[in-house]
Amino acid sequence: MILLRLLTMPYVRKHKLRTVLTIAGIALGVVIFVGMRTANDSVMYGFQQTVDRLAGKTHLQVSAGETGFPEEVLEKVQAVAEVDVAVPVIEAIVQTGIAGQGNLLLLGVDMTGDRSLREYDFEAGEEAVIDDPLVFLAQPDSIMITRDFATQNKLSTGDKLKLETIAGPKQFTIRGIMKPGGMASAFGGNLAVMDIYAAQFIFGRGRSFDRIDLTIKPDYTLEQGRLALEKALGGGLQVDSPSSRGKQFESIASIFSVGASLNSLFALLIGLFIIYNTFSIAVTQRRSEIGVLRSLGATRGQIRTLFLMESAALGLVGSLTGIFFGLLLARGMAQYLSSFFGELYGVTQRVEEISADPRVLGLAMFVGVFMSMLAAWVPARAASEVDPVKALHKGAYESFSDHESRMRLWAALTMCAVAAACWFGGGSRGVPLYAGYLSVIVAAVLLTPAAVRSLVAALRPFLRWVLPVEGALAADSLMQAPRRTSATVGAVMLSLSLVIGLGGVSTASYVSLIDWMNNVLNPDLFVGTSEQIAERSYRFPASFGDEIRKMDVVSEVQNVRTARVQFKGVPVMVVATDIAAVGRRVKPKVVAGERLEMNRLSAEGKGVILADNVALMTRTKLGDIVEIPSPGGIIRLPVVGVTIDYSDQKGAILMDRKVFIQYWQDDSVNLFRVYLKKGVGPEEGKKAVLQRFGGERKLFVMTNQQLRDYALKVTDQFFGLTYMQIFVAVLVAILGIVNSLTVSITDRRRELGVLQAVGGLRRQVRQAVWMEALSIGLVSVILGLALGAVMLFYYLGIIREEVAGIRLDYTYPVKIALILIPTMMAVALSAALGPAESAVRSSLVEALEYE
Amino acid sequence: MIQLDNVTKEFDGKRKVVALDAVTLHIPKGEMVSMIGPSGSGKSTLLNLIGGLDKPSRGEIRIDGQQMSAVSDDDLTRMRRDKIGFIFQFFNLLPTLSCLENVALPLHLRGWSRKKAEERGRELLDLVQLGKRVEHLPEELSGGERQRVAIARALSVYPPILLADEPTGNLDSSTGADILKLINDLHQRLEATILIVTHDMGVAESCQRTIRLRDGKVVEDIRR
Repeated sequence: MILLRLLTMPYVRKHKLRTVLTIAGIALGVVIFVGMRTANDSVMYGFQQTVDRLAGKTHLQVSAGETGFPEEVLEKVQAVAEVDVAVPVIEAIVQTGIAGQGNLLLLGVDMTGDRSLREYDFEAGEEAVIDDPLVFLAQPDSIMITRDFATQNKLSTGDKLKLETIAGPKQFTIRGIMKPGGMASAFGGNLAVMDIYAAQFIFGRGRSFDRIDLTIKPDYTLEQGRLALEKALGGGLQVDSPSSRGKQFESIASIFSVGASLNSLFALLIGLFIIYNTFSIAVTQRRSEIGVLRSLGATRGQIRTLFLMESAALGLVGSLTGIFFGLLLARGMAQYLSSFFGELYGVTQRVEEISADPRVLGLAMFVGVFMSMLAAWVPARAASEVDPVKALHKGAYESFSDHESRMRLWAALTMCAVAAACWFGGGSRGVPLYAGYLSVIVAAVLLTPAAVRSLVAALRPFLRWVLPVEGALAADSLMQAPRRTSATVGAVMLSLSLVIGLGGVSTASYVSLIDWMNNVLNPDLFVGTSEQIAERSYRFPASFGDEIRKMDVVSEVQNVRTARVQFKGVPVMVVATDIAAVGRRVKPKVVAGERLEMNRLSAEGKGVILADNVALMTRTKLGDIVEIPSPGGIIRLPVVGVTIDYSDQKGAILMDRKVFIQYWQDDSVNLFRVYLKKGVGPEEGKKAVLQRFGGERKLFVMTNQQLRDYALKVTDQFFGLTYMQIFVAVLVAILGIVNSLTVSITDRRRELGVLQAVGGLRRQVRQAVWMEALSIGLVSVILGLALGAVMLFYYLGIIREEVAGIRLDYTYPVKIALILIPTMMAVALSAALGPAESAVRSSLVEALEYE
Repeated sequence: MIQLDNVTKEFDGKRKVVALDAVTLHIPKGEMVSMIGPSGSGKSTLLNLIGGLDKPSRGEIRIDGQQMSAVSDDDLTRMRRDKIGFIFQFFNLLPTLSCLENVALPLHLRGWSRKKAEERGRELLDLVQLGKRVEHLPEELSGGERQRVAIARALSVYPPILLADEPTGNLDSSTGADILKLINDLHQRLEATILIVTHDMGVAESCQRTIRLRDGKVVEDIRR
C-alpha cells in the first residue's frame, strides 16, 4: 500500500491524460456491457411486469400462442375438476390517437367472474357501477381507465374516450377509474378494461378469446392442474404459468440478445487491449524506478502486486464510471428497443423504468476490475522480472525477444490449427463453431505484433518517399515499440473487424431481403389494420376481402392470416393464405422440393411449406411430418417444400387458409394482398380503397413501394447496432491512438528535440507525429478489414446455425470498408493533433536532456 | 559573430534560480572559445541560448548581427539550421537511422534531394574518418565513433558556428583527445567559430580563448 502511495500516485498525477484515457478504456467496455444488457433487460422486465400485474391471482393460462381460440374452450376448462376459477381474456393494444399518449393496453374481461382473479380498486363512489356487472354489460360502450391515464388526459367518469376499432373510431364512456398501483400500474398506467364481448367486437376477434386465466383449487398442485388441463384440452393448446410468457418474449427477441452479448464481449475485449497498452507503457517508462526498487530490496512479488493493485484501482474507477454512463445509455436505448420490438415482433410491452439488475452491475464491476487486472498481468509480471542492472538500459524492453516472438507464433499457429480442426470436425454449429471463432480471434491477437512489424516495414519506403525524414522517423518509432504499437493496433483491429462482421451481415441481409421482396412481395397494395405491419391486435372479417374484391380497380385479393405459434420450442409465424392463388403470382426461391408440387399439395391441405430458417433451426427436412399446435388439436402434416421466406425473423410456416380455418375455427384476416387492374397506378388504387372504406373501417393501406420501404426501415433499425459499433470503433481508435502517441512522444522526447535542434521546423515535427498516427490508422484498418473478413464468415455461421437459421450469402461489405478507410485515417489524424502540438511546444532544452 | 548584451536567464520554479546574470560577451568570427566553470555556473544555459534552443529572460543575443528575440520560432529554427551546428555530450544520434541517415538528417530537413544529401553525408563521414561505416547504426559504433558521426552531422551544412557541449565528456581520454584533434583540425580547415563547454582543462587550454563562469557571471576571460 505504501508503494502505491509513494510510487503510483505521483506517476498518476504526472500522467493525468493517460490515466484518464485508461479509465476511459475500461469505462468504454463497461458502458457497452451495462448499457446493452440493461436496456435489453429493461424491455424484458417491462414485458414481464405488465404480465405479472395483469395476472393477479392467476395460476395458469390457457392459450393457443397468440392466435386465440373458440369460446367453447372456456367450457372445457371450467369443466376440469382441478380448476377453481377460469375467466376469458382478450388483451390487445389500441391506438388512442391522443398526442403523446401512444398506445393503450386494453384488457377485455368477463366482469362477472374476473374479480375473483384480479382486484379492481376503484375510486370512491364508483364501486356501485362495477359491483353490478350487469350495469357494465348492459352498456357495451363502457370502459374503465386508470387514475394516471385519466389525470394525464383530464378525463373523469362519464367522459367520452375515442378509440380506434376495426369498424373505425368509436366513442367509449368512462364508467370507472382505477386507483393507482397494482394492476392499474401495468403498461405504465396506460391500461383500460372493457367487457370481453365488446373487445371481441372492436378488435374483430369474432367469437374467440385470446386466453383463459385460471386458478387451481387449493387441494391440487399446479402441476396436477396443468396435466389435467392438457389432458382435457388435447395438445393444441398451451397451459403455462404467466411467467412463461416472459420466456417466450425472450425467445422471440433472442437474436437481439445474442447481438448485444457479442457487442458487450467485444467492447470488454477492446478495453482489455487499452489497459494492456497503458500498463505495458507504464512498465517501460518506470523501468529505472523498478530497477531502483529491486536494488533496494523490493521482491518480485511486491513489484507485481504494485502493478496489479494499480490496475485494480483503475479498474474500479473505470467500472464505476462505466456503470454510470451505461445506465444513462440504457435509458435512451430501452425506449428505442421497446418501440423497435413492438414494430418487429408485434409484442405488447412498454418500458416504464430502467431495470438495473444488481447482478449485471455487480458483474460489470467484477468484469471491469478483473479485465483490468488480467490486462495488467503480463506487464506486471514483466515489471517483476526487470533486471536491476539492465533497468537503466532504455529501449530494450519495448521489443519482443526472439523467444517471445517464436512463442507467439507457435501459439498463433496452434490456435489456427484449433480453428481448422473445429471447422473440419463439424464446427459449423454449436460449441465447435464458437471455439473456432474464439481461436481465430486469439490467433489474430497473437499475430498482431508480427503483422504490424511486417506492414510498417513494408510501409517505410513509401513513407520515406513521401517525406524522407518524417516518414522514416514515423515508421521507425512504430517498429521500435512493437508492444505499444501492436496493443493499439490490436484494439482498433478488433473493433473494426466487428464493424466489418456486422456490416457484412447487414449488407447480406439487405441483399437477401430485397431479393425475397422482388420474388414474393409483388401485390400492388397491402391492406392491414395498422401502419405497423407486424401488429396483430386487430383483425378483419373475411367478408371485408370480398368487399375489396368488388371494387372496380381491383383485380385480385389474397387473404393472409398470420399468427405466432410455438413449433419445436421456437416461436414461429404461421402464415395462412390461399396458396393456389398466391402460388400463381409469386415464385419464391426454393431450397427443397419442387415449386408447383409443393403449391399443389399445400393448397389441397396435404402439407405445409417451411421457411428455410425454420427448417434449419428445428432440423426439419422435406417429407418430415411436423406437429403444429392449434386450438383444434395438433396438426400433423408433411413438409412439402422449403423456401426462402423472410415474413418473420423467427421464420414462417406457410399453410393453406382452409387448414387454418379448420383448426383454429377463425376466418379473420390480418392482411390483404391486393392486385390492381392493369392501368391502375398504386397511388390511385390506394386512394380508391381509402375513399371506399376509410370512414367505416380501421385500415392502413400501403403501396408495394411503401411496404418495401417499411421493411427496409425496420431492417435499418435492427442494424442500428452496426452504426453504434462504428461509433465504438472510432472511440477506441481515438483512445488508443492518443494514448499510443502520447507515450511515443514522451519516449521520443529527446529524438524530437534533436530533430528540432538540427533544424527541424515545427511543421516537420508535427508531420512526423501525424505520419505515425496515420501509419497506426492504416495498419489497423488493413488488419481490421482482413480480420473482419474472417469474422463475417463466423457471424454468418452463428446466424445460420445458432440464432436465426437464415442463410445469408457471404458478401464482403465493400462500401462499409471504403467508408472506414478515410474515416479511420481522419480519426487517426485528429487523434494526433493534440500529441503533435505537445511535441512541438515542449522545451527543447529539457527534451535534449530527457532520458 | 556572436554578441550577448546583458543576457539574463532565470528559471521559475518553487524557487527562482538565476542561471545567467547580465552576461555581456562578444565572440568574433573564426574564434575557438572554451567555456569552463563548476556545475550550475551557467555554461550549458549560455550555450543553449546562443544556439537558440532557449530564450533569455532579459537581454539580447545577436548572431551575425541578427537579433534572435525578434524572430519567430520557425525563423529561429531556420537560423539554427543554416548557421549553427551542435555537438552534444551524449551524441543524440537517432538510434534507428544509419550513420549516413543521421548525418544527412539536417539536409533532408532543408529539403535537399536524397541523392545530394547522401553525397554530402558520405563526404562528411569521410572527413571524420568513418567513410566505411555509413550503413552502421549508432548502437554498432564505439563512443568515439558516435561522437564523430555527431560532429559530421553538426557540420552537414558547414555552419559558421559550431557549439559543443562537453564533446569529450562521455569518452575515455584517448578517444577524447582524438575528438579534440578533429575539432581543432576542422576549425582550421573550415574557419568556423567554435564554442566548447567543458570541464576538462586540457580541452579548455587547447582553445584560443577561455571564458570562466561562476554563479551565472563571467569571472574570467583569457585570450591566448
